[in-house]
Amino acid sequence: MITLYDYELSGNCYKVRLALNILKVPFTARPMDFHPAREHKSDWFLKLNPLGQLPVIDDDGLVLREAQAILVYLASRYDSSGHWYPRHDAAALGRISQWLGFAQELTATAGAARLHDTLFLDVDIGKCRAGAHTLLRILDEHLWFAEQAGEKWLCGADRPSIADLACFPYVMLSEEGGISRLPYPAIRRWGDRVKRLPGFIPMPGIFPAAAA
Amino acid sequence: MNRWFAVSACGEVPHGQVAQSQLLGQELVLWRSAAGALNAWENRCPHRGVRLTLGACVGEELRCQYHAWRFASGSGQCTHIPSHPHQKPAGTIRPQVFPVFEDGTFAWVNLTREAVSPQRPAAGIDTALRSIFARAPVAAVRQVLLRGYADQSVGLVDEFTLDATEYALRFMLQPVTEGQTIIHARLQGEVTAAKRMTVLRHHNVLMSAVRDHAEAAA
Amino acid sequence: MNTSPPVEPVLWDDWHPVGEMVQLQRTAVLHTMLLGVPLTLTLAADGSVTATGAPHGSPVPLPHVQIRYGLVWLCLGTPAREIVDFPETRESDRVVCTGGSVAVAVSGLRAVENFLDLGHLAFVHAGYLGEEPHTEICAYKVEPLADGGILATQCRVYQPRPSPMESQGFDVDYIYAVRRPYIVVLFKANPVEKERMDMIALLAQPVTEERCVAHVLMAYPPHNVDVASLRWFQQLIFGQDRPILENQLPKRLPLDPRAEISVRADSSSAHYRRWLSAVGVRYGAVPVAAA
Repeated sequence: MITLYDYELSGNCYKVRLALNILKVPFTARPMDFHPAREHKSDWFLKLNPLGQLPVIDDDGLVLREAQAILVYLASRYDSSGHWYPRHDAAALGRISQWLGFAQELTATAGAARLHDTLFLDVDIGKCRAGAHTLLRILDEHLWFAEQAGEKWLCGADRPSIADLACFPYVMLSEEGGISRLPYPAIRRWGDRVKRLPGFIPMPGIFPAAAA
Repeated sequence: MNRWFAVSACGEVPHGQVAQSQLLGQELVLWRSAAGALNAWENRCPHRGVRLTLGACVGEELRCQYHAWRFASGSGQCTHIPSHPHQKPAGTIRPQVFPVFEDGTFAWVNLTREAVSPQRPAAGIDTALRSIFARAPVAAVRQVLLRGYADQSVGLVDEFTLDATEYALRFMLQPVTEGQTIIHARLQGEVTAAKRMTVLRHHNVLMSAVRDHAEAAA
Repeated sequence: MNTSPPVEPVLWDDWHPVGEMVQLQRTAVLHTMLLGVPLTLTLAADGSVTATGAPHGSPVPLPHVQIRYGLVWLCLGTPAREIVDFPETRESDRVVCTGGSVAVAVSGLRAVENFLDLGHLAFVHAGYLGEEPHTEICAYKVEPLADGGILATQCRVYQPRPSPMESQGFDVDYIYAVRRPYIVVLFKANPVEKERMDMIALLAQPVTEERCVAHVLMAYPPHNVDVASLRWFQQLIFGQDRPILENQLPKRLPLDPRAEISVRADSSSAHYRRWLSAVGVRYGAVPVAAA
């Protein structure tokens, strides 16, 4: 049984919770006192992840940090359909990794803006917001042209990949950091499609889609 | 002011979707019912003021995210208050509804409540280009467009037509707020399937350049 | 220098929470703001807290600072009374902790009113504090409190997961007490100890008229309870409320009953708004327009 070291309001932890639910992998969440006690910086946790960050999973002794790395592992190990991380398609893996990198940039900009506005993180808020808008503009343009070509997901035609799960949370939580998504209609439609995936679960700040 | 403004290509708001928009500072919720009716309302629930864009379309109604009050497509009338499920809500409970019409390719909104949809000639088969959001006032955008869009210039106003090879290109400017504008554009005349993506990408590059110039000047 | 306070005395001469001790103990210095006045809180080696701020021009040490309930409290004027008392925190077997303070871009009065609201529980907190089809809110009682504020009783809601300890649903009795304009306490029936109630208090720090920090104080009877789980649940619930609060327009709480539409389920909200007008609160509100 996988143990997930978790924080309810973390977008990165939510990426893992989302993947676990969609892939129907059973797990136990160990809620960490991220705020205000900063349990993720305590000595016992630093032994698990010296970076002192969440999420971390422990799958029967295999300990992994980094949300994107965990998504790669979960999809490779537990996805029988093979579409979340198609290991035998080099071009697809290249594209997915590209967008996993993009997801990291979203965390550093939109994610940081959100932590600044809610939990007092000390960052250059103007720079974070401007950086987030640059990324969202690129994402919106990519998704708009993908739609025109009949594609619904970040990296391919008819099936989503872990790239979609990795980019979704901090995009959809952007307003909590003062970043409006009014200029990005293609992102809105893509977000709705992610919300309608079987096994989708919400998190505080992301509302589920209405029943179809 | 009794004026119609393009706010969205029709295809940008599919059935059952709720979108955020803004015109001359007025926040709007643009949503399309399951049956296809497009609505443009003030983006504010009359109950506790929560933005209706957080809500969801449920059939022919828009449901507010806070207390799940439901409002009917078309009239905006409140149809259901879950905390009092057996009572019929008073007929006066509704957000402000703005006139909206679709010309086959674009949706237009007027902020004057009594406005009557204009009789527009059938637009024929038009292609909507990708709309571009600019952090610049509408005057700055207009100026850049007039100075030259791929080195072709035309006459004035917020809608104008450029003749280019096989098709005519028409721009419609949406003043979002004093410092923000959305540039909408349509190709009048058919674009063949083979050329479609090339044409869309071509104009996306040009219109993005218009945005960059307008933002730099602002 | 005799300057009249920039903010009405009912707020200026009262105590407000301005920081969570767990956070201050880590950073030693906290920069914050109260009623528009920038403040700096400093933790001394002996564990005491000093505050400096500029309520009337240049920064001065602020004399009225106290630590209570794991929070730093400040009064910018002359305290007209004591810090709000929470006797439950003195019951020796209760688990008492702060919940993790969160900044919200809305007036603290809107945050208090949201805390009182029952109609949203089945939707915003679906699966926890309420659930369809149990959406009907039956009539409840609202009355004034002897030393100011309002009390709402006989509120009852079906809750599938009322607290972190419960995995079963049941009908929960709620009592709310608005103790100050920006402070409200909730008492929830405890499933194990029928005579005792879980206590959760929302203490909103009015940063500006349109921004607040939501501080939370909890005191639970001891069964099956640990601090990490209480904080997890509280932050989950508040995390669900926050995007609603930040998308309310106007950001200040309208006190005129004609400004927004109320139904019978909004009884505590109607009483709360009337009481705020009666005691002269304007900061963070849109006051009733003069006739």
